[in-house]
Amino acid sequence: MAKPKFQVGDTVRVKDRTTLFHTRTQKFIRKRVGTVVAHRPEWVIPEDEAWDRMETGRKEPFYVIRFKQTELWPDYTGLAHDTLETEASESWLESVKG
Amino acid sequence: MAKHHGDGHHDGHNAFEVSSKVSEFEILELAVRELAIEKGIFSAEDHRRFAEWAEGVGPHGGSKLVAKAWSDPAFKQRLLENGTEACKEVGIDWLQPTGVGTPSDYTFFYVLENTPQVHNVIVCTLCSCYPRPVLGMSPDWYRTPSYRRRMVRRPREVLAEFGLHLPADVEVRVHDSNQKSRFMVMPMRPEGTEGWSEEQLARIVTRDTMIGVALPRADRTSDAGSLAEQVR
Repeated sequence: MAKPKFQVGDTVRVKDRTTLFHTRTQKFIRKRVGTVVAHRPEWVIPEDEAWDRMETGRKEPFYVIRFKQTELWPDYTGLAHDTLETEASESWLESVKG
Repeated sequence: MAKHHGDGHHDGHNAFEVSSKVSEFEILELAVRELAIEKGIFSAEDHRRFAEWAEGVGPHGGSKLVAKAWSDPAFKQRLLENGTEACKEVGIDWLQPTGVGTPSDYTFFYVLENTPQVHNVIVCTLCSCYPRPVLGMSPDWYRTPSYRRRMVRRPREVLAEFGLHLPADVEVRVHDSNQKSRFMVMPMRPEGTEGWSEEQLARIVTRDTMIGVALPRADRTSDAGSLAEQVR
């Protein structure tokens, strides 16, 4: 298993990559900045798994990212401490200098 | 489309014929199922058995998990550390009953513990991922675009529509199940349940409290009615 590139506590930005085919990286988290709160096991990324490339697909570590709701939605009507967590594979994430 | 439905004077067609119309999705399901059966991937009997199982699973497994965790701190620890393994202690094996479940169906199960500071709620904005082995089939509303779209964007307003008004000092944390993990909320044990057995506790841990759109109460069970006699 590859060593995860990001550590719990790291600040990351979700990339806004082209996705011609299948992905499970939601539009609303792209370009948004969040914090890594947990590691998930390495797995074949959805972009390959969707084509049944379970043996030959690219494997990457996954991460749980926590976003502040106000980061996701500039017009958020709840409270500033509200959050959302979701997961992303490594290639969707880039480091943000703190 | 609509003008062919239920107009009551179309060649004497009645409601029975209208309701027998098959959607494109159903045709697709049927075609894939028949192909799979022809190829010997599974038999019609396997399919029937699985459908019967899937439709019969309710939220009882989840209720049991929560009640046990409320009663047994060591189990709670195991449940929070490795949900999939801890499930086996109450007889839920995520790869059963088919024995052919793949890790891509449901792999990792995580229990989200509510605290006085954090209230968790689950949604799947991409489709309708749901921890079926422990909660059964998801409610219809859980799969609607309205719930999925709005729960991530305006969670407090959606929770209020369910009658759940959370205080301002509580952080609302939405979990969007977009990858391989499946989640279930472990609500806080309500007051007035001191000395209750696991069985009694399980009855107030309803489906909605484990999705996170409701809080358990000592005076409310999923089978409301028998409650009064239970508590007396």
